[in-house]
This record gives sequence, C-alpha cells and structure tokens, in this order.
Amino acid sequence: MPERLANRLKERRTELGLTQAELAERVGVTRKTVNTVENSVFTPSATLAIKLARALGVAVEQLFWIET
Amino acid sequence: MHSFKIGLLVGLGAVLVIAVIVKWRLRNMPMSVAEKAEFLSKRRARMLPALAVIYITQQASYITLPHEPMDRAVNGVKISAWLVLSAVLLAALATKGFWFQRREVRALIDDEVTRANRIEAMRFGFIFAMLTCIVIYLITMFEPVNGRDAVHIVMSDGLGAALIRWGWLERVASRDA
Repeated sequence: MPERLANRLKERRTELGLTQAELAERVGVTRKTVNTVENSVFTPSATLAIKLARALGVAVEQLFWIET
Repeated sequence: MHSFKIGLLVGLGAVLVIAVIVKWRLRNMPMSVAEKAEFLSKRRARMLPALAVIYITQQASYITLPHEPMDRAVNGVKISAWLVLSAVLLAALATKGFWFQRREVRALIDDEVTRANRIEAMRFGFIFAMLTCIVIYLITMFEPVNGRDAVHIVMSDGLGAALIRWGWLERVASRDA
C-alpha cells in the first residue's frame, strides 16, 4: 500500500490565527508552497518540514506523520 | 544585413521590449518581497500555457516554409527569431527566470515547489524530445529528413512539452483546496 505524508498544518496554522501568506513569509517561501504542503500535493523536504514546524511552534512529528 | 542577423536582432529586441514593459508596469506597485514574488509567481502560472501555445503555433510558420528555407530572406528572419525564443524559453526553464528582478524576489519565486515543478517539467520535456527522436528516426527509414528540420522538431517538441507541463503543475500548485 502506498505511503503518504499527512499533516495538520492547516489546523495548527488556524489555531495560531495565521494566514497561508503570513506563514509563508515566516518560513521564507511563497504562499503556493504552503498551500501545496497543506493539501498534500507536495511532499516537503526535511529542511522545509523543520522550518514549518519551528514557525508553528511544534515538533516535526506533531506536524507530519506517515499514513499508510 | 544577413537575414539571420536581422532575425536574431528582432528576437533580442522583442525580449528587451518585454523586459522593459514588465519593469515599467511594476514600477509603482508598493509591494513587499513576498507579495511581489507571489504576484509574479501567479502571473507565471497564467503565462506559461499561453507561451507554450505561442511557441508551438510559431512552428506552423516553419512547417509551411518552402523546402529550401534559405531561398527567401524572410525565412532566415523567422528561423532566427525562433532560435532566440527557444533560447530564452530554455533559459527560463533551466534557471530561476525573472532575470531583471531583485535577488531576494528571484530566490523566493524559485522556492521548493517551483524547483520541483521545474525539474519535473524538464524530465517530461526530455522524455518527449527522446520520443520525438525515435519517431524521426523511424521516418528516416522511409524518407530522408533534413538535419536542421530534425533539430527544429526535437527542440520544439521538447521545449513545448516542458512548458505545458510546467504551466500545468504551477496552476495545480496555485489552486486552493
């Protein structure tokens, strides 16, 4: 069965009251990148995943997990 | 002046005019680096399919050329203009593009998703170009194909396919869920 990287990026971002654009600016990417990661269209690199987790104040494992 | 040189100058002139228009249109827009990158990124997603269509339809003028294309000066101009456009599109595909923007804007425009999309588009274009090579090779078994015609077709197919793929991926990436 194929594995996919699931995330709770949107949930955490909404909790903090951030827009996609604001999160993107904090991380140093475009809104498009945040959008694609949130929608699981794009699997982020380890670097980006860590940056996103740091910007949202959680550990990477809390933000991303592997779904089978 | 030789018709090829005129074509090259026309092509380069067109590139410069487009660059100046883009710069002029953005001159009074008070935007942060992120906003500008977002704006340009969206515009690129809209422009890529249009560019691909223009590029591919331009091939119609080459195909309809007489068998000896160098007979008329205008044909030399057409071919040179095509060469400049191909080189510009290839450079846009292989580099970050937006060469006249600030370094921070360029870096942000070419973020992780865009890089991944560009690489995927180049892979797609390469496969398409190789398939075109196979088709041309098969055709040569029955009918001779001029060397320049073959290069023209392979390059146009490869670049056109890569541009369409890139445009498609960028549009999917920009789409909200």
